[in-house]
Amino acid sequence: MNTTSFCDNLHPLEIIVLEAFGAHPAGAVLTTEQLAEATKLEPSQLSMAIEWLLAKQLLAVTSETVTSVVSLTAVGKTYVERSSPLDRILSAAREASSTGKRLTIADLQRKEGLEPSDVSRAVGRLKKEGALLVVQGGCLESTGRPSPSAEAMRALLHDLREAPRPLDGFSEVQQALIRDYAVKRGSAREPFRIEDRVTRSYTLSPAGVAAVNALVGQAKLEEVAQLSPDLLKDGSWRTKRFRKYTISLRPPRVAAGKKHPYREFLDAVKLKLVSMGFQEMRGSLVETEFWNMDALFMPQFHPARDIHDVYFVKEPARASVVAEPFFSRVAATHEHGGATGSTGWGYRFDPERAKRLVLRSQGTAVSARTLALSPSVPGKYFSIARCFRYDQVDATHATDFFQVEGIVLGEDINFRTLLGLLNLFAREVAQAKEVKFVPAYFPFTEPSVELHVRHPRLGWMELGGAGLFRPEVTQPLGVTVPVIAWGLGLDRMAMVALGVHDIRELFTDNLDLIRTTRGVF
Amino acid sequence: MPTISIFKSDLESLLGSPGEPRTVSIDELQERLALVKGEVKDYQEDTGELRVELQDSNRPDLWCCEGIARQIRIKLGGTAEPYPFLSKQSGRLPRLLVAPELERVRPYVAACAATGYRVTEQGLAQLIQTQEKLADIFGHKRKTVSIGIYRLQKIRFPVTYELANPDEVRFIPLGMETAMTLSEMLMVHPKGLEYGSILAGQRRLPLLRDADHRPLSFPPIINSREIGEVLVGDDELFVEVTGTDATMVLLTLNIFAVNLADRGAAIQPIAVRYPFETPFGKRVVTPRDIGRPRAIQIETIERALGQELETTVVKQALETYGYQVSTGKKSVTVKLPPYRQDLMHAMDVVEDVAMSLGYGAFSPEMPSQFTVGGLSRIEQLSDRARELMVGLGFQEIISNILGSPEHYRDAMRLDGTEWGKMVEVRNVMSSNFSCLRQWMIPSLLRVEGASARSFYPHRLFEAGEVAIVDSAHEVGSRTETVLGAIIAHASAHFSEIHSCLDACLYYLGKTYSLEPIPHPSFLDGRVGKIVVSETPIGLIGEIHPEVLERWQIVMPVVAFEVNLSRLEQLT
Repeated sequence: MNTTSFCDNLHPLEIIVLEAFGAHPAGAVLTTEQLAEATKLEPSQLSMAIEWLLAKQLLAVTSETVTSVVSLTAVGKTYVERSSPLDRILSAAREASSTGKRLTIADLQRKEGLEPSDVSRAVGRLKKEGALLVVQGGCLESTGRPSPSAEAMRALLHDLREAPRPLDGFSEVQQALIRDYAVKRGSAREPFRIEDRVTRSYTLSPAGVAAVNALVGQAKLEEVAQLSPDLLKDGSWRTKRFRKYTISLRPPRVAAGKKHPYREFLDAVKLKLVSMGFQEMRGSLVETEFWNMDALFMPQFHPARDIHDVYFVKEPARASVVAEPFFSRVAATHEHGGATGSTGWGYRFDPERAKRLVLRSQGTAVSARTLALSPSVPGKYFSIARCFRYDQVDATHATDFFQVEGIVLGEDINFRTLLGLLNLFAREVAQAKEVKFVPAYFPFTEPSVELHVRHPRLGWMELGGAGLFRPEVTQPLGVTVPVIAWGLGLDRMAMVALGVHDIRELFTDNLDLIRTTRGVF
Repeated sequence: MPTISIFKSDLESLLGSPGEPRTVSIDELQERLALVKGEVKDYQEDTGELRVELQDSNRPDLWCCEGIARQIRIKLGGTAEPYPFLSKQSGRLPRLLVAPELERVRPYVAACAATGYRVTEQGLAQLIQTQEKLADIFGHKRKTVSIGIYRLQKIRFPVTYELANPDEVRFIPLGMETAMTLSEMLMVHPKGLEYGSILAGQRRLPLLRDADHRPLSFPPIINSREIGEVLVGDDELFVEVTGTDATMVLLTLNIFAVNLADRGAAIQPIAVRYPFETPFGKRVVTPRDIGRPRAIQIETIERALGQELETTVVKQALETYGYQVSTGKKSVTVKLPPYRQDLMHAMDVVEDVAMSLGYGAFSPEMPSQFTVGGLSRIEQLSDRARELMVGLGFQEIISNILGSPEHYRDAMRLDGTEWGKMVEVRNVMSSNFSCLRQWMIPSLLRVEGASARSFYPHRLFEAGEVAIVDSAHEVGSRTETVLGAIIAHASAHFSEIHSCLDACLYYLGKTYSLEPIPHPSFLDGRVGKIVVSETPIGLIGEIHPEVLERWQIVMPVVAFEVNLSRLEQLT
């Protein structure tokens, strides 16, 4: 196994233990105690870390020794505070002798609060050592001689008051005394406890040595989760190690700021048209029938001008005026051709009807307005205009949609340059090399043509319609050069680019769908 | 425009010569239909039925099998067949007399008889379909033109076209078993109910009757069942057209006459006598050639098509498209065939030349003149604002502009306020689509209301058009481009959206201030108008909880809206 990756998988506790070995000369053997001392870990944390390292065979046990350890019991701790019964009896006897008072065993039991068994056992030992005499009447007298047991006991209590110590660290005499006063079966109330403690020693396995070496580079480095401004400011990042992440996990989601995919599609079309030399036109959502239809030479009795084809505005229902001289010229053109060389439609033009307000139903209305505003010659114009159709809404019909339309004016405009322009659209907008031109009918163009193209992914499709504006359209608006009118039907391309099958989804209110849709342009 | 049903075998027999049909494959037919601006929409191989869509609304002659066949046949044959019944007629003609009072009601009538063609099943279906399509689309639902077809042998001339007392005249109408008065027909008969409004307000109603006072029909409503029910096998027909436009009435009859002639009938013209003046005089023999010769310079055609053309080429192209043509030195004089009346301008002839030659005969050529492209100023500003909003972490939305007052006004608590004024539709189809949005924030709330399950935060914007009611404006409203933005999440608040507005306007180079205002759509005290150069250009605030409830939104929403058009005008 690769040592570096081995190290990456070490728990911080394991690393602490390995580092403790690293701080000693190679081949060092350390006991549990020494490790506890070196690592400052809690016993439970240390034993966990040692167990893991043993399991990973980074650590090996070199020896296992059993030591007897002496510690103070709760009774022993009271001896530390209030002296042992030996000392207390001895000093009580000395006090009695110097004052001439009588001291009985019963007195000792009463005054010192000692158990009768403790008293008799201590008195027995002191008498035996010649430090105490029992005289007539059961009175105790001090001999003035010292008691080796009492002194040894005092020394033991002092030595053990902080921590347990190994039994074999004491003298033979002390050991004997400890054994006499140690807790055993049948005598629980003793000051000392003797326990067997297993002490293991450990050393690094060869793999452990390699792991320690690998850790050496990072040996002294503290691990941090996050680089912080403070670490950068004082340069202390150099002494830190950065915890490694599991980078294969899925990231949290982020809400991106981005354009709407359909708008991106339209932006691409817009850019394309501008790059081909087209100037953008803007128009009004509400138009008069005059600009929406009359100016386009659609007769007022035209079937597509029915109440069922256009949305009419409730209030105001009519525009107050329509700009002259266009109004009179268009009216004359409808009635008898005016000055256009046309016969006209031969009906009575209704000026009130021309003033009726409708929701723009075709982008060509924007072109008509532009024609009346002295456009540049030569000139190319386009608009991406929101239009409204009086239709039942379904998967292929929206009430509210974009029409991409425009005009081209110039002395060199004719049927062949019209076809040339459509060729350009086919290539630039639909990446199509094959085209077909099919005769078509629009009320405002003559000749009229439909552009069919072989789209690289969609196959043969109708890309748009175009034609030369009828003189009945251009001349009343003050334009004397030929004008191409063109329109592109891009909804199907947009739907394919966005992967939607229902035209209503182009304007969806489903945020998840908007967030996840990627355009393929 | 109309979609008609024809039978392939019928078309093939009309394409050939009598007794010798000319077969066509569907592919060839599809190709040939370019000549009539038609397209095969459907073909049932087992029945041979074709659905053909025809685009040209000025060529009603093409809305039938005979017309389609004729246009293709002339092209294939290289020349148009003459229709002898259009030449001056000698001898006494059957007469149709018009009563004086019709001048005010439905003045014009044209008629002819057709004999020698035995009506077949497919022929009868075509007759009925042509009658319906012409009366419905060309004749504006029978208002301008309506057509009746009868069994000739039941009629004794002269026929009279007169006004009758609606409660006195009675006959059995088509589709009924019993005789009824004209009044009853208007009230009971399906056609009376459908078309009765054409005669609204008339005390006396149009009637066609024969010399024996037997009613032929009640135009434009219904025929008599006895005389006006044509059956398969009939070989003597009488066709009449009544209407309000003399030319259209004549054209319609001409179409029927040539259609029947193409099927082998001999056409017997009728002399119509008016007691009043008509555009064609007081005595009009129908069918009648209504075409007028028109001289067109070859140069006009060449310039429009962008191609040099020999006079003979133009002549041949037009003749094989049905025209009568005579040539001058650098011009042609053309006359439309009797079944057409759509030559308004020389450009109409130009297109026919191009169609006859085939669009493929013209090689495309790029317009050569240089032009500079560019976006409008408002679009440029809008695009910059959109870029900024994207950079600020907002997702763009596109919405319908046509919506409902419930959403744009009522749910926003704006009913009865100045902010609630909007452009509304008169002919509402669905209340969901009955007004134009006057501001943007409801469009964004629409998405928010539908997207509670999309993970938060939501930062949405839309830049787009609105219609603001303005009586000073020519069309009663101004179309302006606005930018709207909302933020929705559990702790969305004013300063968060304010920061976004601040950043957006900073980069658009505008210094602004906020002035507290009351606005019903927002929480009071947490809404202000955005002011630039002392001009209010928008609103910012926390959306009112009642508004959120109306949209079923359960998150706090903060929003701003900036009128980019107004901002653009300040620069």
